[in-house]
Amino acid sequence: MGRRELKLLESRRLLTLLLAGVFLWSLSTVDWRGPLIHTGGLGAFLDFLASLFPPELSPGFLGLALSASWKTLAYAVAGITLAVLIGFPLGVIASGSVSGSPRMGLGLAVAVRLILAAMRSIHELVWAVLFVAAFGLSSMTVILALALPYGGILGRIYGELFNQVPEGPLRALRASGASPFRVLLYGRLPMALPDMLGYTFYRLECAIRSAAIMSFVGIRGLGYEIQLSLHDLLFDEVWTLLLFMVGMVVLVDMWSSRVRRSLVS
Amino acid sequence: MSMKKSDANHLLVATGISKSFGRVQALAPLSLTISQGERVALAGPSGSGKTTLLYLLAGIIQPDAGELLLAGQDLARQRPGKEKAGLVGLIHQQYDLVPHLSVVHNVLAGRLGQWSLFRSMISLVWPQDRQVAEEALAQMGIADKIHERTSHLSGGEQQRVAIARLMVQGSRVILADEPVSSLDPVRADDILEILTALAGGSGKTLIASIHSPSLMRKHFTRVIGLREGRLEFDVPAAEVTDRALERLYDLDQSEAAVWGGGN
Repeated sequence: MGRRELKLLESRRLLTLLLAGVFLWSLSTVDWRGPLIHTGGLGAFLDFLASLFPPELSPGFLGLALSASWKTLAYAVAGITLAVLIGFPLGVIASGSVSGSPRMGLGLAVAVRLILAAMRSIHELVWAVLFVAAFGLSSMTVILALALPYGGILGRIYGELFNQVPEGPLRALRASGASPFRVLLYGRLPMALPDMLGYTFYRLECAIRSAAIMSFVGIRGLGYEIQLSLHDLLFDEVWTLLLFMVGMVVLVDMWSSRVRRSLVS
Repeated sequence: MSMKKSDANHLLVATGISKSFGRVQALAPLSLTISQGERVALAGPSGSGKTTLLYLLAGIIQPDAGELLLAGQDLARQRPGKEKAGLVGLIHQQYDLVPHLSVVHNVLAGRLGQWSLFRSMISLVWPQDRQVAEEALAQMGIADKIHERTSHLSGGEQQRVAIARLMVQGSRVILADEPVSSLDPVRADDILEILTALAGGSGKTLIASIHSPSLMRKHFTRVIGLREGRLEFDVPAAEVTDRALERLYDLDQSEAAVWGGGN
């Protein structure tokens, strides 16, 4: 036992040295001779910061920002809703908590986990590029491109949450005669629900960001407008749009806390 | 499977059952017979194997060796389900209710073994067999809590919900793991009155782990003493002596040495 501990300690120190060494070596790849920040850069950056005070607040533009935000939010919500519908049943199977025979259940769980991993390992932008070929630049593309990777993420997390609930109440349900599916319905699901909900709301925030980025590709939304304003160097407009983005995420965050609190009481 | 005439009343027959967890032997080979309608108190210090024995009798864990027959059938071969639930029910020390569900759903969980899949799902929205739950809760004195979220109830109230669930389940043998250990004497007496009335009313069998000699004599017909996984004595409740219990619970030499005294 002592020997094993020693080896572990050595390898930890070794790893730290290794990482520190790699970092220092990476610094040597930077060209320290010339200026670190490109000459026009600092000025342009300060210009950009200054445009925040004040941002573009004309009613016409605010209306545009609002409608662009609404579109982005709609894509995010639609994408996440579909992701939940995909991720929930797959998560149940992946957790292995409901199965016919134990061996078949395990095999199925492993297969589903692989599918979920594949879904989420492809970034939503890549999915979007793939779907543009099939559906063109349409809402369908954006929603599916969000639903698949997020479905993979949600499915995996839901599966783990189902398995992390306290064993005691599940055992008691089983002993009262409940089948594995009824144990899931009356035990796992109610106990995992608060965390599932919290995590889903967090992913909704991420989906808003993803939807905004995807609209850079050409589908209308916040990202599209940001790109247009950036192109024209209208930084105050860019700031307005960014503030709308932040505002949306903050609102979703507040909504999420209220829902979670109402679940408890 | 031969059934002698004298076995007719024997509901639970354990022959040489033992259980170990890793290197720790929780229960040494033990044999006992319990008849229908008995009220048995399990006595013994912590770690004596009372909980292990209760879990074995409930069929939640399986013995490493030996045989356990319940109503003539091998308990180890019974899969959890409607039949087993109708035979044994256990009130856990921690009650093991689902905190996030409302009381009515926890109580009606006792019915899950009997309901169809459709009914089980519908009941989450429209509680089925509602009157059954209402009656059980009324008998426990907490009928007004029926729609409250279970985690909002006090410990004592949650225990009553657990008992109500057992009533709805309707098992022939009622097992209780330390049902009154954390209660004051008055409430302990009250809960045992409820449990014995529940058992006595319908000829059910009650087996519970109890520490207090007075409660043992008042509410039970038989006392089984366990110590370090071994059966020390098995006597009618009227015959259990304070001396025997003292010896059962005595700190042995190794434990006494820590406190620097005792002999």
